[in-house]
Amino acid sequence: MATVVFTSGFARRYTSGVREFEVEAKNMRGVLKAMDDLYPGLGEHLEEETTVAINGEYHETGYFQPVPPGAEVFFIPRIEGG
Amino acid sequence: MNDSTIVTDSVKRFKWVGTRPIRPDGIPKVTGRAMYGADLKLPGMIYGNVLRSPHAHARIISIDTSAAEALPGVKAVMTSADLPAQKFDYIGPERVAVNFWHVTRNIMAREKVLYEGHAIAAVAAISASIAAHAASLIKVEYEVLPHVIDVDEAMAPDAPLLFEDMISRGIEPVPTKPSNISKRLDFSMGDVEAGFAKADVVIEKEFKTAAVHQAYIEPHACVAKYEADGQCEIWSSSQGHFAMRALTAQIIGAKLGDLRVTPAEIGGGFGGKTVTYLEPVAATLSRKSGLPVRIQMSREEVFRASGPTSGASMKVKIGVMKDGTIVAADGLFKFQAGAFPGSPVMNGCLCAFAPYEIANARAVGYDVVSNRPKAAAYRAPGSPIANFAVESVLDLCAKEIGMDPLDLRIKNVARIGTPTLGGPKHAHAGFAETLQALRNHPGYTAPLGPNQGRGVACGYWFNGGGESSATIQVNNDGTVLVATGSPDIGGSRASMAIMAAETLGVDYNTVRAIVADTASVGYTHVTGGSRVTFATGTAVVNASNIVVRDLCKRAALIWGVDEDGVVWEDGFAKPASSNVGDFKPLSLKDIAAKAAATGGPITASNGVNAGGQAPGFAAQFFDLQVDPETGHVTILRAVAAQDVGRAIHPSYVEGQIQGGVAQGVGWALSEEYIYNAKGLLDNAGFLDYRCPVASDLPMLDAILVEVPNPTHPYGAKGVGEACICPPMAAIGNAIAMATGVRMTELPMSPPRLLAAMSA
Repeated sequence: MATVVFTSGFARRYTSGVREFEVEAKNMRGVLKAMDDLYPGLGEHLEEETTVAINGEYHETGYFQPVPPGAEVFFIPRIEGG
Repeated sequence: MNDSTIVTDSVKRFKWVGTRPIRPDGIPKVTGRAMYGADLKLPGMIYGNVLRSPHAHARIISIDTSAAEALPGVKAVMTSADLPAQKFDYIGPERVAVNFWHVTRNIMAREKVLYEGHAIAAVAAISASIAAHAASLIKVEYEVLPHVIDVDEAMAPDAPLLFEDMISRGIEPVPTKPSNISKRLDFSMGDVEAGFAKADVVIEKEFKTAAVHQAYIEPHACVAKYEADGQCEIWSSSQGHFAMRALTAQIIGAKLGDLRVTPAEIGGGFGGKTVTYLEPVAATLSRKSGLPVRIQMSREEVFRASGPTSGASMKVKIGVMKDGTIVAADGLFKFQAGAFPGSPVMNGCLCAFAPYEIANARAVGYDVVSNRPKAAAYRAPGSPIANFAVESVLDLCAKEIGMDPLDLRIKNVARIGTPTLGGPKHAHAGFAETLQALRNHPGYTAPLGPNQGRGVACGYWFNGGGESSATIQVNNDGTVLVATGSPDIGGSRASMAIMAAETLGVDYNTVRAIVADTASVGYTHVTGGSRVTFATGTAVVNASNIVVRDLCKRAALIWGVDEDGVVWEDGFAKPASSNVGDFKPLSLKDIAAKAAATGGPITASNGVNAGGQAPGFAAQFFDLQVDPETGHVTILRAVAAQDVGRAIHPSYVEGQIQGGVAQGVGWALSEEYIYNAKGLLDNAGFLDYRCPVASDLPMLDAILVEVPNPTHPYGAKGVGEACICPPMAAIGNAIAMATGVRMTELPMSPPRLLAAMSA
């Protein structure tokens, strides 16, 4: 199990304000798929609009990143550059 | 010469990592033979010139280029009509979202000009003087509009609008009227009001910072050669030739595979050369003329038309207990984006309180457009701006409760597991060690004289990771080539060669590192975000390890033993045990000489999307003296401690820290964009835009604190940005100690300081 967390703004836009979810996933591909199953289309938004912190470590939102058991997967918005 | 101290957690374990070899790019640079963006000259090359807006804000009624086209020697003229339309959408790449509807309008104005210097049209001619004359012949009919420069004025309900249809994002309910507010951001944790309610001391102040330019020595320049078959080559000085390829391809409507971008040497960037201004223009003029085109900005164009970082208007409130515990913090950060949305206000919000453990915190940010050049990245974009306000208020809190300002920060320092305002918990150590290293510096308790003061501040930056590529080639004589896609701004060629030499176990002097063009190495994101030593370094080490495995395999073939019977130690292939046989160890050079016989060229490439970068943390103190008659500030001492992970090449790390501190001194004391009543920039040159020079500064002491990053093969952390965050507040805090006057607006220039002291 991993805990998926969104910022309040992201949750307002895409998950009816719900900020935390428990998902079964071994990597980020699994996290994205689980969230897309819950909210169809959300996976693409996450890929396009976020970067992710897995247990506080920042990564690009890529499929290959391992997600350890019990991990906190925190999505934050990408920086806007222009 | 170096005045640095290295505070490390370990005895030296490496042969090359941590050494200071002479920089490989030094001789071409000091002999004037290095090729920068404006140095390339191709056969048949012609010269571009850009016509720029004389108005801060105006509607374009018409553009007549006929006189310019008719001028003898003119080969091409372009306007925005020569560039394809772009969709309005915020899209990647990497951690930065870009809206090409805005980008194309910044490169060449369409409906309106939005700042003085905004490009309107461009010409290419057989000489620079003909091109300049031709540009002056272009007739533009304007409807001049009211303008707005200041961020607070731009947010006013009756402010002139840059975009008549821009509805603020992030505000609920969604506004019904347009404004200059592009976006509102809101981050919070805990209960901020309850936190303030229990605080013993609450201090609130308003602050303003000026827009400042990165002030790189080399103006933007490029050469483009567009062929009839649609293939285009570009040579440009930038912080990322792959980014220039991607941006140019999108703006001119080309395929990535049809563009090849070669990086020139770069004379400084500091974030300002991660965006494109000239490459799509040069490519378009080359396509229209059939000839290679070179364009270079003048210094005045750099100031008027390329991105400074934002100025800002801020309000910060912090509550502390008598024992120094910070119990609540609240920040309002309004950032100038320039003429198009996209200031670094989100970074400002997320970095503002990041160095500290604060249970209750909130940051609200506004991204605001006004009639200035579009803001571009500048070292730790956003963080130094918010930092000035936060670290100034912390100083006031420390004074109010009678606590040493560095001890206040030590008491509240963020550690592994401390929550951040953005959400994720801190995952890396290094902050506490850095603060303690600064506290231990003997200068911190040295006595001060009359009119002198000492100020402390800290700073935080995320640091970057992301996509990088490297290729290693082993030559037959045992020399090694390391090719990466990272333009070398801060000494990365030396660092890459050091890491390759360390991993391969060879002499550093046999390794040559180069920056390869977009057709010769895999995709690599920009040199920015303090990412190169971490991300590209990881790719270099990975590729070196692939080469090591190949060398072992070839040694096994030479000896006629199984591959698993060979190990690589200290730069030699050796039998894994006496059971394998008694063989004389083979060096890389020995095996390279047998490359053809053992399978052909020895080469390996690696691409990574590196994550797990550790953030940067800096703590600094400044000693200074204020002249009470003139308001002039003399910096007497600056001590900068920084968590550097592992210093791969300590001299370059010191250089990064000293450079960041020096730029911070300019930001604090003298640099600003000065606009007149017409919205025109009055100081577009180094004579009137005052950067600090060597004679303004003492030797800057760097303390390299080594808390290695476990996610990098040698423990490296980004070092180029956190160092620019503290100086503005540290200097303001020192001025307050020296004079009793709290400065809340940058720059703290002599006239402004004198006026405050006289008030």
